[in-house]
Amino acid sequence: MADKTFIVRIKRQQRPDESVRWEEYELRYRPHMNVIICLRDIAEKPFTRSGVESTPVSYDANCLEEVCGACAMLINGTARQACTALVDDLEKPIRLEPLTKFPLVRDLVVDRSKMFEDLKRTHCWIPIDGTYDIGEGPRMAPSVQEKGYPLSRCITCGNCLEVCPKVNQRDPFVGAAIVSQVRLFNMHPTGAMHSAERLEALMLPGGIADCDNAQNCVKACPKGIPLTESLAAVNGQVLVHAVKSWLRGE
Amino acid sequence: MPAAAPESKTGYILDKLQSLSGVVPIGAYLVDHLWSNSYALVSIEKYNQVSGELQTVPWRIGVEAAVLWIPLLFHSLYGMYIWSRGKSNALSHPWMSNWMYVLQRWTGLLAFVFIGWHLYTERFGGHGVTRYAGVAQDMTNPWYVIAYLVGVTACSFHLGNGLWNFACKWGIAITPKAQHAAAWFGAAVGVGCTLAGIVVVLGFHYAWFPLGGYVQ
Repeated sequence: MADKTFIVRIKRQQRPDESVRWEEYELRYRPHMNVIICLRDIAEKPFTRSGVESTPVSYDANCLEEVCGACAMLINGTARQACTALVDDLEKPIRLEPLTKFPLVRDLVVDRSKMFEDLKRTHCWIPIDGTYDIGEGPRMAPSVQEKGYPLSRCITCGNCLEVCPKVNQRDPFVGAAIVSQVRLFNMHPTGAMHSAERLEALMLPGGIADCDNAQNCVKACPKGIPLTESLAAVNGQVLVHAVKSWLRGE
Repeated sequence: MPAAAPESKTGYILDKLQSLSGVVPIGAYLVDHLWSNSYALVSIEKYNQVSGELQTVPWRIGVEAAVLWIPLLFHSLYGMYIWSRGKSNALSHPWMSNWMYVLQRWTGLLAFVFIGWHLYTERFGGHGVTRYAGVAQDMTNPWYVIAYLVGVTACSFHLGNGLWNFACKWGIAITPKAQHAAAWFGAAVGVGCTLAGIVVVLGFHYAWFPLGGYVQ
């Protein structure tokens, strides 16, 4: 019996300044394959459909269980994780492209350090160390923990930035993921001690006011994070902070 | 974050003012404007009396500039700047709220053109005096009627959807449930304004007075 096969089309680019080429691969179907397996199959035998020898496709992947965020790419035009994109569920031929909102490195690899820089810029961490032991922090109410947990599931994959009309080369908008992290850290009793710094950072160019409520982010999030709720909540926090500091002349 | 971007909060303040000016005074004025024009559905005398009162408010030019012209110009021009910073993608991500994002921009542009023309013909052209007969005369022209129907619908949509945006962007409607409710509230305002506007335009066109029953 002949093996069942399917086609994968991949947008490839050796370097950011080189021209784009599309390659088609015909892969042997096995049940429960995901897109990462497809890319591994190609790496094993990098011959295109027409038999021309090519090179293994560059891509980022790590955990293979949708917790690291590394394998975000456009699969049939949709920003999602390659590890949870099952071949059985995808329309064929499967079309793979790199995310478009981040600088391209090679093939399906993009440089998402913008998100890391923006997390730093918005103080998205909780300082627990001093030059001496600063002791235990305040206790966190279970109700707050329950609100915070879904936000803590963010994997910084960048899908929410990819689909946002306000994230592009013309606008430095930080995107929903970062705003949601600001909400998470402001919610934490120790993190709240630095909430003013985070809210101030979100008033600068690229901050919260750049959100124009297209609400694509929440639909693209693989972790089901209530991003539009985070955006509205942080919008309110920034506004209250702005009005208070204006009235006090700070 | 590009290193060259200025570390200033001016953008935040301007964005917030752009958003606020759409609700107050512009949105509030749209509702009031449809309200006062609805007197055209009562009777010619009532319409002329109400419009006469509005046209004789003290410090009129100053009031119009402060309440209407400056906020309108700021809201429109800064709104176009905001538009220019976005890159709509509703064709590749055809979700409803994404289409609303696109429509909000195009109805804003339509409203800007319509309001400019409307001010030119009804405010400056008539030197600030509008009477029932003059408007009814304009409304015999079918192109005027079409322009008004499109203009009023665009303005009403922009206000209704804008109220939803406002509720989300000012942290008033936070949870999905609250945002859903805000969307319905905005839709009700948008549909209400559209219907009122259409009826007023048709009232002028057909010299129709459906609310004239109470006049003794």
